[in-house]
Amino acid sequence: MKQLNIIKNQNKYFFISLAIIVIGLIFYIVNGVQLDIQFSGGTRIMIETNGEVDSNKAEELVESALGKSVTAQTQKTNNPDAEEEVIYMLRLDIASEETLTADERDMVVDIITQNFDVKEGGNQEMLSVEPSIGRETLLSGLKAVLIASVLIIAYVTWRFSAIHGLAAAITAVIALIHYILVTFSLYPIFRLPLGEVFISAVLTIIGYSLNDTIIIYDRIRENTRLMKKSTLEEIVNTSINQSLTRTINTSATTLITLITLFIFASVNNISSLVEFSLPLIAGFIAGVYSTVFIASPLWLMWRRRAAMKKTPKKA
Amino acid sequence: MRNYSILKLVAVIVVIAVCAFLAYNEVKNNNIRTGIDIRGGVYAILEPDIGKTSLSAEEIDKGLESAKTILGKRLDAKNIFDRSINIDSVNDRIIIEIPWAAGETNFNPQDQLNELGKTALLTFQEVDTDKVDENGNYLPTGRIVLQGNQVKDANPAPYEEKGGWVVVLELDQSGVESFAEATGRLIGKPIAIFMDDHFISAPIVSQKIDGGNAIITGQADASEAAELAATIRSGALPFRLVATKVDSISPQLGAGAMNVAVKAGIIGFFLICLFMLLVYRLPGLIASIGLFGLAVLTILSVAWTKISVTLPGIGGIILALGMGVDANCVIYERIKEELREGKTLRAAIDQGFHRAFTAVVDSNVTTLITAVVLYALGSGPIKGFAMTLGIGVAISFITAVTATKLMLQGVTGISAFKNKWLYGVK
Repeated sequence: MKQLNIIKNQNKYFFISLAIIVIGLIFYIVNGVQLDIQFSGGTRIMIETNGEVDSNKAEELVESALGKSVTAQTQKTNNPDAEEEVIYMLRLDIASEETLTADERDMVVDIITQNFDVKEGGNQEMLSVEPSIGRETLLSGLKAVLIASVLIIAYVTWRFSAIHGLAAAITAVIALIHYILVTFSLYPIFRLPLGEVFISAVLTIIGYSLNDTIIIYDRIRENTRLMKKSTLEEIVNTSINQSLTRTINTSATTLITLITLFIFASVNNISSLVEFSLPLIAGFIAGVYSTVFIASPLWLMWRRRAAMKKTPKKA
Repeated sequence: MRNYSILKLVAVIVVIAVCAFLAYNEVKNNNIRTGIDIRGGVYAILEPDIGKTSLSAEEIDKGLESAKTILGKRLDAKNIFDRSINIDSVNDRIIIEIPWAAGETNFNPQDQLNELGKTALLTFQEVDTDKVDENGNYLPTGRIVLQGNQVKDANPAPYEEKGGWVVVLELDQSGVESFAEATGRLIGKPIAIFMDDHFISAPIVSQKIDGGNAIITGQADASEAAELAATIRSGALPFRLVATKVDSISPQLGAGAMNVAVKAGIIGFFLICLFMLLVYRLPGLIASIGLFGLAVLTILSVAWTKISVTLPGIGGIILALGMGVDANCVIYERIKEELREGKTLRAAIDQGFHRAFTAVVDSNVTTLITAVVLYALGSGPIKGFAMTLGIGVAISFITAVTATKLMLQGVTGISAFKNKWLYGVK
């Protein structure tokens, strides 16, 4: 069976990753990243209209009435109760340090009702988040990821002590961070608003990516025992290649599910699911890439460096 | 021995079939609770507005507990029984979820908000006689004489001395003391009563009151007095609650997302089965049965534990299904390797499971660690995700490892299924 020589080409793979992250970073500096109301705080009002409305006009009207910056956009969703019927929603995001008061919200609804063809008794949604709570949601999500990472490092260090557990654990977490950075890059590049969906997507992929890494490390652990005469490089390469079929098959089944979800969501105009499945697909690919091309080669580099440091002492 | 093997296979399939039947019933009878993001409703985070008063952690905990009871009573009074009110004791706040009632036609979030916002903290305050609003009513000063939580009971009563109606308040011990002190000090001056910041009345203190009862005069008639008494009784919140997050979701849009996610899930499931069948042949079929078992067991545990399924929760289920498939891929690749080395079918299966076991355990344990941490530390949507993920991973360990192993061992006991081609080798 033809083997991929991942270790020999590792610099190429590192470069590709780095390039994506750097592009993301440049876009981040230029565009910034737009936090969703869920994190930035503010008020979101959604009102059902009969047919599409001019969102620019709505934006101007509400903005001049409130004196606050407003983003308006129209969204379409298929009606789950009646086939081939479309629900049009006008979405107004008012991000500010203070959420709108009840009077201000009434005013916004009145302005929209007077100027546009609002559906009587139609859907209405409202989200109002104090900035403190929004920040806290974001921070608690990040804190959870951080603490989970520390515990995983501890567990992997213990379980993989045969292959220098700490090296395995830390390189596994570096691979995770790498994939999170790549997924995050998508947001400034495509100007997607970063909300709770991003956190869910990151968490999902952490599960998968870590799983991938551990399967390969498990092989390295086993092969270190079985291939005593081989070099570390050979062991790592063999291990990656032995688990490659499994990696491909698992990825294929997962991608099938995700792509199905994405297609269904796009066809039915369910924006929340599109926002969930798209970063998942991208992140998933980045996650597999992290595992195969980043985690194990990094582990090898770590081990080699450690070996080099040790040699002079012995002499 | 052979009969015993077949028995294993049949037993596992029967168990899965029974579970599938039970799960089908739960789904048919709508026993799956769905979160606010799917069924629509109002989700709100309420935080105590402690302001300048200093309360100990214990007092806050006690206060949140009674606020929870009071909110519950208020919703009972509105015939809203299907709700959840939870105290987040880490962050000192109350999380309340009220789904739209069936047949609800008024989806104006504003109305629901107003209902939630009515927290009615009753205070008796010293006031500055020169500080009044445009209607001539006193403004709250924050110099609190008596609070709603010091009121044990409130009842309407006819005002015998001057006619008309009053509300009689029965005070607790601390209330008696502070009221006696204040009325002794403020003779001839008004003490104003506020419901939140809303002015109610300002009786002038005529004498020191140390009997344990206080009255609120100025009630127009019996029904007004009764109404005020009821508000005080159910409204004696220890502190004001401020809504720091309110999310009001239309039921139609949430249901739409749910429908699509479920449809995609079913199609995705069949595509995975097809893939597994093509790649792994007979074991692929068994993995599909195991995966089906995972799906029905997840539905059952969600129905029986009454967990609310949210959209991120569905994400967790999908991830757990993926982990289940993955465990099978890892094991089957191992079995293939063993077969290629020329081992017998039975030995290859035993070895395959044995050697893949550490990998599957480690990957499941790390995922469980993630799920537990996220559940403990995450907020609303993240908790929902962590909950279903944790349950799913625990179940997937049973279905993808134990159940498929039993079934595979059973199948190899049948002579017609001994051809290695069926196991994906040559």
